[in-house]
Amino acid sequence: MKYAQDIANATQEIFSSMIMLDVVPGEPFQRDGTKLLNGISGIIGLAGEVKGLLSIHLPNKASLDITTAFLGMDVEEVDEDVCDAVGELANMLGGSIKTILDPSGSKVQISMPSAIHGEEYAVDCLTDSESVAVPFTFNDQTFTVELQIGPKSL
Amino acid sequence: MGKTVLIVDDSNTMRKIVSRSLRQAGIDFDQILEAADGQEALDVLGANKVDVVLSDINMPNMTGLEFLKAKAEDDAIKDIPVVMISTETGADIIDEAKSYGAKGAIKKPFTPDLINETLGPLL
Repeated sequence: MKYAQDIANATQEIFSSMIMLDVVPGEPFQRDGTKLLNGISGIIGLAGEVKGLLSIHLPNKASLDITTAFLGMDVEEVDEDVCDAVGELANMLGGSIKTILDPSGSKVQISMPSAIHGEEYAVDCLTDSESVAVPFTFNDQTFTVELQIGPKSL
Repeated sequence: MGKTVLIVDDSNTMRKIVSRSLRQAGIDFDQILEAADGQEALDVLGANKVDVVLSDINMPNMTGLEFLKAKAEDDAIKDIPVVMISTETGADIIDEAKSYGAKGAIKKPFTPDLINETLGPLL
């Protein structure tokens, strides 16, 4: 999928301007159906002319460090603040990708952000959707931003 | 007399970030009020003297656009300037917000400098 560089640019801009963290993108890949372990995911749905899902998947430790930097206060467990921060990250990522998919702003709608977390869970989108996942590293930690788009969207 | 800002966003995290960014931008408010949606914002405006509002667009219960429409119909608060601060900054949405009286728009993610540039002329 062609949006890997857009995801990398949007993610780096959000982290540098809002969290003061430099994140480094890695090689894009396609995430298989492997379940996510001990982590939290922020999710934004895309509807309208482009249907799909934008998600950010963070291991628990990464989510705590990012929320601590985001809020400027120590966070020690995945709680309401972490879910809110990760949801807001997904919201900003979704907004940035929406701007690329739909510059006018009227043909694609984005959902309210949501966050899910647990010891073992899956985040799947549409059957036969195209997807790309971009890994990022910061301070020896990793997270992934993933875009899934339905087959008839583009 | 000091100035008061109202920050409207359903995300507690984002309200804190906006508040911090105002301080980083060197904009000194005596009072920072918060609301989690448009209806709460109307309630706050009805009970407090507010100089400027920073409002998200996508919110549950009452969106930022619905808030602007309701505010424009209330003579007591219709002249309080509102700046939208949102991931939603497509031309159509911003034009609609401005048609309801919004004075500007700031795209998330933002920098303190951008907040200063947009908010400064309104204070």
